[in-house]
Amino acid sequence: MTSENNVRIAVQKRGRLQDPSLSFIRSLGFEFDTTRLGDLVVKCTNALVEILFVRNSDIPEYVKAGVADFGIVGENVIYERGENYKVVKRLGFGQCKLVIAFPKKLPRREIKDLQDERIATSYPNSLRKFLRQNDVSSSIIEINGSVEIAPRLGLADAICDITQTGKTLSECGLKAIATIFESQAVLIESPFNRKKNNIVLERI
Amino acid sequence: MKTKKKIIPRILKGTRDFLPAEMTRRNLVQSKIVSIFERFGYDSIDTPAIEYAETLVGKYGDDGSKQLYRFEDNGGRDVALRFDQTVPFARLVSANYSQLPMPFKRYQISKVWRADKPAKGRYREFTQCDIDIIGTKNLLAETEIAKAIYLVFKELGFEKFVIKINSRRLINSILDFLKIEKEKQPAIMRILDKLNKIGRDGVTQEMSQVCDVSVVKNILKTMVLVGTNQEKIENLKKYDIAEVEMFLQLCGDAGVPEEFLEFDPSLARGLDYYTGIIYEVYPQGVDIGAVCAGGRYDDLCGMFTDKEISGVGVAFGFDRIVVAMEDLGLLNDVKFNSDVVVAYFDEITLPKSLEVWSQLQTAGINTEIYFEPAKLPKQFAYADKKKVKFVVICGPDEVADNAVTIKNMETGKQKTIPQAQLDKYFSGYTNL
Repeated sequence: MTSENNVRIAVQKRGRLQDPSLSFIRSLGFEFDTTRLGDLVVKCTNALVEILFVRNSDIPEYVKAGVADFGIVGENVIYERGENYKVVKRLGFGQCKLVIAFPKKLPRREIKDLQDERIATSYPNSLRKFLRQNDVSSSIIEINGSVEIAPRLGLADAICDITQTGKTLSECGLKAIATIFESQAVLIESPFNRKKNNIVLERI
Repeated sequence: MKTKKKIIPRILKGTRDFLPAEMTRRNLVQSKIVSIFERFGYDSIDTPAIEYAETLVGKYGDDGSKQLYRFEDNGGRDVALRFDQTVPFARLVSANYSQLPMPFKRYQISKVWRADKPAKGRYREFTQCDIDIIGTKNLLAETEIAKAIYLVFKELGFEKFVIKINSRRLINSILDFLKIEKEKQPAIMRILDKLNKIGRDGVTQEMSQVCDVSVVKNILKTMVLVGTNQEKIENLKKYDIAEVEMFLQLCGDAGVPEEFLEFDPSLARGLDYYTGIIYEVYPQGVDIGAVCAGGRYDDLCGMFTDKEISGVGVAFGFDRIVVAMEDLGLLNDVKFNSDVVVAYFDEITLPKSLEVWSQLQTAGINTEIYFEPAKLPKQFAYADKKKVKFVVICGPDEVADNAVTIKNMETGKQKTIPQAQLDKYFSGYTNL
């Protein structure tokens, strides 16, 4: 059961941000039953706070719609949506970069070599903005996952994807030639229900 | 050998031909304007270009009547060309009143004809672009018009423009207060309307012929104000200001930013028939005058029916808007319709070229095929002249590999990819 009076914080249902997100919530003094983490909603035991477990890319939508009062999400997700959110705090975890990479075996490549090439990505909006800023036109091949194998399959000439260490890229025979942005997890706040939100804001 | 005498391919004074480059820009401007009208739920109507002369004669004052294109048709009827869209609209509403929802709102974009003296920016055949809301006296209609104006100019890319507004009711109450006779008020307003053109001195001089110099001073002191909208309102509290106050409040609530709305108590609009809120829109950074104007009128259909129909509407100066946008560089990147030319390599590979042509059209990419199996440089030259960005070539090598070669005409870069990926290549291209 959820209550309208509870403050809701949306976090990743699965993925690398989930653990540090829960640690952060705990660090604010909110306690919850860790055996119930498979549930969609987990109530804190010592405060009127609920944790919603939702898909990473849906977190901004929940917050924007006021269904969640807060969300913990990567800046990359927000940037890709191209919308403004009220960032309460940058959380210092979940660091990653959105990069453009070419196959290593090719001669040295630069941004201008992207002209007219096919670039596979799950971040079409971020990529489009970057290309426009660099006055380069390319064909954006939008795919939802396993972007890094697209060049080997002949689907694309280059990729644009998130990387933490660069290891996966390297294993797929790719080399980053440009960074579009660096990202980390942030706490975002819904534009609704400011008053109720204070229970969280006071502790930050 | 005798050559037949040729006719000089000329056009009438004050009319224009539009070649594709210009027409593409005009179409873009029109489609952007229409997209905003439609976002407010406006539908369009059209009326005949040619009407019985009696429908139009005498509706536009003495000058207007002289400018009417009027003639006898082959059947001996006295006919005239549409002079504006308002009178035919009034006729249409009068003739179809029972079929129309009330309140009724419509947009209309069409050519009108005036035998005016041609001058720079003034033509005998030109395009008018109107929206009107009739059948309601509520200020929400005025508010909607203001919001539509705001969104149209935003959509067209104007960064800075000002929607000047005023109220005829307010002007009348000021002139009444200053004891100016009702019959003199229209003349005063027509002179006041020239303030921007002839300046304060010019207005003073002309008005002095209608009323006392001391009264003229008072008129100008009262109506020519500087300051914020709120300050001007405070200054005019003893007159009939409620309409202006409420209108500006509604505009704010409806999301028209205050910096785009300027309450100008000296704004008059020359035409006699306005009765309430009036508007004029001026773009900044280009000296072209008003690009949109109009206001509230009562009794639209008085000349056709006893029904008293009040309305509010504005006309967008289509030609001026296009010129202003050209001057501001807002139409520099307008491209033609064709994005891809599929080359005609030879007879053997033609079926593949036709297949590719269909593939791209099915994917919604504007694609044409070259009509002759000419040498490729000639086909490239055709694409260049039409500013088509890509040529797709399916020669024997490509056909053998189920591939296609794409040539970017701007960069000269060529690239061969699987035919199956071709439509995705273009639909994902960042600035097709």
